[in-house]
Amino acid sequence: MKGKTFFILCLFLMVALLAGCTTFQTEKKGVPYRLTAQGTVIWEDEFEFLPPPPDWKLLRVEVGENDINFGFTRSDPGRFPSMTSFAYDEEPFGCSTKFEEREKEFFKRFLFNAILQFQVLEKKKVQVLGAEGLAVTVEGKDPVRGEKVMAKVIFGKRGDRVVGFYITQWRPMDGTYDPAAFDIFDKFVSSFKFLKKSFYEML
Amino acid sequence: MEGHQRNLYLYERFNARVLGVSRDDVITLKYWAKDLDLTFPLLSNVTSFLGVSVGAQPDGRPIFSRRTIIIDHKGIIRYVRDGSPEYKDILLFLKKLNEEGRSNPAAGGKP
Repeated sequence: MKGKTFFILCLFLMVALLAGCTTFQTEKKGVPYRLTAQGTVIWEDEFEFLPPPPDWKLLRVEVGENDINFGFTRSDPGRFPSMTSFAYDEEPFGCSTKFEEREKEFFKRFLFNAILQFQVLEKKKVQVLGAEGLAVTVEGKDPVRGEKVMAKVIFGKRGDRVVGFYITQWRPMDGTYDPAAFDIFDKFVSSFKFLKKSFYEML
Repeated sequence: MEGHQRNLYLYERFNARVLGVSRDDVITLKYWAKDLDLTFPLLSNVTSFLGVSVGAQPDGRPIFSRRTIIIDHKGIIRYVRDGSPEYKDILLFLKKLNEEGRSNPAAGGKP
């Protein structure tokens, strides 16, 4: 590489610990998917997956930069905040391309608005997207609000980059979790396929 | 910022370096870089002259506006965007610049 002939990408910053905020928004725009005869969904001709049962509502997840990911949510029986959501995330929090490091980076920011202390319940290597990935199940509790959440995050690879899937199940502190929702999430993840190369792979 | 950190390997491919400029002090930026696991340089420009020089310093405010600038090896500003960085747009622009350079190495592209 020539030492003196490079381009400089100069960023003027407002320092704020809010970079990478993810906001959820329910579906508003045109339908970006189609159903196949096999019962799978093809999303924007890019992803194919097995959708959850009809009682799950579609979410579009705005991640900035004109990127929109997607997921599903449902209200669960019981008091607030009983609900479950899961999503595919093309750019999960963090930067590392190694799963163990990415996991640490990810959980610095995951659900940071809720100010939870996470306890890792299970961490194991899994097969995802046709290769080895990492699945981490955690529980977070907020004794002040009297709420808790169980979450599972699965990291996989798309080309050189790490992508993620996550499910969160919120409950009041004395509520019980519904493992069936996690089974639906696992089916969604295991069925997930890329139908074309990503922007970064084609760059 | 995480987006830039994720894209460092692509910036390298396109012969680009990234640096951030902020009016915050060095200690704040060190903490921030550590918290976000950033490895590229962050410049502390408390007196704001860098921001003033590129129009990123709003009058009467103690912070810079968010602005992304790409400067070529001759020091010419080739790209300016305000607001949150559009990472894909930046990458496509750097790719184009690098391709210009490859066809004309004097323009600074990676041969």
